[in-house]
Amino acid sequence: MVWLICYYREDNKIPGRNKVRYGWVVLLFFLLCLGCGEDEPAIKVDLSVSEQIKFEEEPSLITYAYLPQYSHTISYSRHHALIQYLRKKTGLNIKQIFPDTFDQHMEMVGQNKIDISFSNPFIYIKIAHNYGAKAFARIVEMTGKDEFRGQIICRADNVSIQTIGDCRQKRWIAVDSTSAGGYLYPLGHLLDHGITKMDFKEIVFAPGPGGKQEKVILSVYAGKYDIGTIREGALDVVSTKIDINKIRVISMTDSFPGWVYAARKNLDKKIVDQLKQALGTLDFNNKDHREILEAANFIKVIPSIDSDFDSVRQLAVKVGMSLGE
Amino acid sequence: MKLGFRDKIYVGIFSLLLIQGLVVFFWVSHVMKESILAEIKNRGITIGISLSARMVEPLLAMDFLRMKVLVDETVQLGDDIFYAFVLDRNATPLVYTFKHGFPTELKTVNSVLDHQKGSMKLLDTGEHLIYDYAVPVIINGNRLGTMRLGLFRTRAEKAVNKILISALVTILFAIFAAGVVGTLLLNPLTESIKKLYASSEQALRGNLDARTAPMLKRNCWDIMQCHQNECPAYKNYHHRCWYLAGTLCPTCVEGEYAKTIESCRQCKVHKQCSGDEIQSLAESFDAMTLSLKGNLTDLRDTEGILNEQKALLQTILDAIPDFISLQDYEGRYVSVNEAFCKILNKTKKDIVGQKNVTLFLKNRAALYDQEDREVLDTRRPLVKENKVEGAKGTKWLHVVKIPVLEASRGTMSIVCSGRDITQLKAVQEQLSHAQKMESVGRLAAGVAHEINTPLGIILGYSQLLLEELERNSQSYKDVATIVKQTKNCSRIVADLLNFSRSSESTISEFNMNEAIEEVIGMVEHTFGLNHVIVKREYHQHPLWVKGDKEKLKQVVINLLNNAFDAIQKDGVIRVTTDGRRENEIKISISDSGCGIPKENINKIFEPFYTTKGPDKGTGLGLSVTFGIIKEHKGSIKVYSPALSGKKEAGGTQFIVILPAHLNGKKGEINGENSRIG
Repeated sequence: MVWLICYYREDNKIPGRNKVRYGWVVLLFFLLCLGCGEDEPAIKVDLSVSEQIKFEEEPSLITYAYLPQYSHTISYSRHHALIQYLRKKTGLNIKQIFPDTFDQHMEMVGQNKIDISFSNPFIYIKIAHNYGAKAFARIVEMTGKDEFRGQIICRADNVSIQTIGDCRQKRWIAVDSTSAGGYLYPLGHLLDHGITKMDFKEIVFAPGPGGKQEKVILSVYAGKYDIGTIREGALDVVSTKIDINKIRVISMTDSFPGWVYAARKNLDKKIVDQLKQALGTLDFNNKDHREILEAANFIKVIPSIDSDFDSVRQLAVKVGMSLGE
Repeated sequence: MKLGFRDKIYVGIFSLLLIQGLVVFFWVSHVMKESILAEIKNRGITIGISLSARMVEPLLAMDFLRMKVLVDETVQLGDDIFYAFVLDRNATPLVYTFKHGFPTELKTVNSVLDHQKGSMKLLDTGEHLIYDYAVPVIINGNRLGTMRLGLFRTRAEKAVNKILISALVTILFAIFAAGVVGTLLLNPLTESIKKLYASSEQALRGNLDARTAPMLKRNCWDIMQCHQNECPAYKNYHHRCWYLAGTLCPTCVEGEYAKTIESCRQCKVHKQCSGDEIQSLAESFDAMTLSLKGNLTDLRDTEGILNEQKALLQTILDAIPDFISLQDYEGRYVSVNEAFCKILNKTKKDIVGQKNVTLFLKNRAALYDQEDREVLDTRRPLVKENKVEGAKGTKWLHVVKIPVLEASRGTMSIVCSGRDITQLKAVQEQLSHAQKMESVGRLAAGVAHEINTPLGIILGYSQLLLEELERNSQSYKDVATIVKQTKNCSRIVADLLNFSRSSESTISEFNMNEAIEEVIGMVEHTFGLNHVIVKREYHQHPLWVKGDKEKLKQVVINLLNNAFDAIQKDGVIRVTTDGRRENEIKISISDSGCGIPKENINKIFEPFYTTKGPDKGTGLGLSVTFGIIKEHKGSIKVYSPALSGKKEAGGTQFIVILPAHLNGKKGEINGENSRIG
């Protein structure tokens, strides 16, 4: 701009006074030109040419489902690396699918839509009972135990609940009616302490599909419910979302067998063996395996058989739960 | 056509606002448009990312319903969202919002890499311009698919255009509002300026009764509750009291304006009555014209006095017979008087502003310049007498040149004054000559007295000797010559004695006509021998004179002799007496002789002045005549040629005036007629 004015002033052919006038005109023109932007290039597309999309299932696909105790994202995060490992290790076309609810999970096992089910022991005894699923492996928790416990939690500042007995007449939120650590184990634990379902002011289950453990914790954290029941280790999952010190664990249940891998009824035994083999090979001391195992939140997979879960069956009977559909 | 102040302001404001508006409209609106488009683009990316995040769960679950709901809900978020769809990792559309199948070209027209936040492409469908956004659906660094979103740019532009139109309307409104506000603000301003201009014009035309300041609702006498009629501010609606001198308010401070105004600013009158700068300007203008008027009146009075003094001074200078001039340091004439003009025979206009070189001859101018320079350099007056030769004869000038310091200019000037002393010089010469003659006369008288006695003896003895000699002898002739020459010497001695000492007078009353006739009778015969006729024109009545008859007869004899000598032969001598005037008698003797040259006419009464030969006159006749007439308290005048044609042309006329004796013997001579001879 300054250059323009200077340029016109240096031009001796234009009288001095006119130089300034021309300078102003050029300046004004320049300022106005600033308002004129160039149009962006546009790609021509013809929207009239269309097609009907048809989604086709992949052939010889082995479906793998993680009981949706957490959100699909967490489920994916935990098991995606493991599935990649299994695909690579077994050469099978394994794909993780995400049922929204425990019931849907069980139904999909029954409908052969889930070939490999990774579920809690209570779900397992139900799909084993109802759909003929067979356990072939179970995990060892990060605690090093092949069992896990349920937890009864409340807000840390809730002075009215100090012992498990204080849970009477309180509002209780549980993970799901089919949750082992989030409902079944705590219910058995409460019964052991003489507290039945009738003693609670209200019992509700976490709403919506997936993410149920988090929903229970968040509901108690928000003060909507007095106590919540979750599986051991669930608090760590929400440690990035809330201050888990504001949550107090009132009581822990007894240990029961951990999560279990089960094959649907009539799944090729060879495939089961390949998977059992591949899972059993995972070694926490192996760097690559460790990443897979840490993501999946267990340190080891060990062989298992259906009888390993009899204790759970007994608990279900104790609390009066039916294994039927 | 030249614009007025108000028009210029209007044009300025409107031009400025228009230019500003255009710049704002084009530039700022461009920026605004870009920001809005950027915001729209960012909105697309944001919606895409949000949708992508929300799409993870249903995509993992392959929940087509939820995915469909999500894309449909997204499209319903706003009118500007054209479409949304989800591609799986193989770029296969999973769900979309198109009702009539999926547009095939959309699949590949925009792509995004895993590590990219999103990708935007502008698509032209022929009907609309669409921003197409591709956002990867990522979970834990693994690509699940691609979220695609289409936003109408056309609709975004509509929104932008709406804003631009609003901006344009706002600018136009701002220009209009500025015009209205400008008009409201400018009108009083321009009116005041016009009024000031008109007053200024009036002042230039000499009308200093300016009335520029507005009338106030409350004036100083209202505020101060004053009733002092003598105060110059009282009931003075057009001038503010703080500009007026000599106000009588007890709070007023006397002194210079600078002092008083500081005091006035604290006064409640000033606080309540002072206005904005324009009003103050108008008020101060009125005060200025008032002050100017007073000053002009004083100036005019002073100018009148000065002019009067100047005229008076000039009158005095012009009345002075001496010539006076004033020259500046350069020698240029600044002022001169009438006498100076007369000397140079030029007008003041011709002289003032000129130098010596243009007024005088070269040599004289150089001399005067040298004198002037000397006076200026030495700072001493110069006094001198200049002899000036001119066409009218020689003049003597007495000149004084005085250096004068002009205090106002700090330069030296010369005042030159001079006077014509030619007459004085002549008188001085005459006096000197008379003194010389007096000495000579006394000497001659002494000599005459001493030789008178021996001459008498010589004459006596010569006459005795002559009686004894024979007439025809040579001795007789010789002695006769001695007697004759001795008589001449005696006459000369007698004249000398008459001239040098007043002989005793015998005063009597006599008729002058008779005395003249007696004298004519003595000389008429002698004159007649040379054909010189004496004509008489006596007054009809006797002219009684009281005096020495013999001396007065001597006067007539002298005058007749001079007339005869002037005629020498064949001429007329006319003698006339006149007693018509009561107090005096007039005797006129004129001749038809050769007359007296003009240059000599003043010398004829000088002793020993004569044009006759050495043996014919002593040059004392007219001197003696002059002395006798003076003795009788009369006067004598000479005219050559004679005064009128009636008299003898070319000759000389002497007119003697004598006092008449009023108590003379009137009865004896009454009735006598004049004689004409």
